Amino acid sequence: MTPACEGFCRAIEVAPETARLADIRRFVEEVAAEVALDRERVFDLKVAVSEACANVVEHAGCETVPLQVRALVDAERLTFTVSDGGVFRPPNPCKQVAGNRGLGLPLMVALMDEVSFVRSPEGGTCVNLSVLLPTR
Amino acid sequence: MCLVCTHGGEKNQVARESDNDSGPMEVQTGSLRNAPLLETQGDIDHGTCSGLDTALRDSLAGGCRIILLDLTQVSYIDSGGLSVVFSALRDIPSDGWLGLIGPNSDVRRLFELVGLFADPNVRVFDDRQAAEIALDEETEAL
Repeated sequence: MTPACEGFCRAIEVAPETARLADIRRFVEEVAAEVALDRERVFDLKVAVSEACANVVEHAGCETVPLQVRALVDAERLTFTVSDGGVFRPPNPCKQVAGNRGLGLPLMVALMDEVSFVRSPEGGTCVNLSVLLPTR
Repeated sequence: MCLVCTHGGEKNQVARESDNDSGPMEVQTGSLRNAPLLETQGDIDHGTCSGLDTALRDSLAGGCRIILLDLTQVSYIDSGGLSVVFSALRDIPSDGWLGLIGPNSDVRRLFELVGLFADPNVRVFDDRQAAEIALDEETEAL
């Protein structure tokens, strides 16, 4: 990690629509380019962040509140935080079996070095998706 | 987001799933050795995967045993797209298969991660020529 990355912070806000997922992936690409991540890790982040955002759009029930994604470099890791005004809902196991829906959360966990969910007392949920940055 | 269906050429049908800014995801339907060949371009995500779902459903409704999905021009797929592929697989006859042509290394890695390649009704080809050879062998074996 280069010293310039310390304190790095970027953010994007978009309408909570699946049509905006590509914008969020572009944001992830731009951030990843700034911290010089390799191609595989960029793809992993694009999938994980896009999945977290899709979950917000499909399940959080906050159609009027913008979807916010923040990227922060701290303690040698890059973390994307997806915030919404609703409730993060884990996949329904019954529906998964029938339709292979609910792959989003397993993908986030499999592709990231660390995943956490934080429920705000004021309402809303944050999903934190982190990758360790290579030491240089 | 709009779904536009047009006819492009005598044999091919194009279904385009587009959004406001990010460019379309396009599915072009043709055939290879009489098997439906769906050529997909663009990102297959939660917002665009319904176009692919429709194209796969249409091919399956025709009673075909083998479907080819050309992913050479696909740089990204998410769980929405993966669900569509799994869903199509469930409806393919047990003696049939879904041929995935030219997935890039990232897409291939995601397929492996979710266990798609463990399905006996999935075959992966580096390019159309390899798929064509498999179809020819299939015909000779009948």
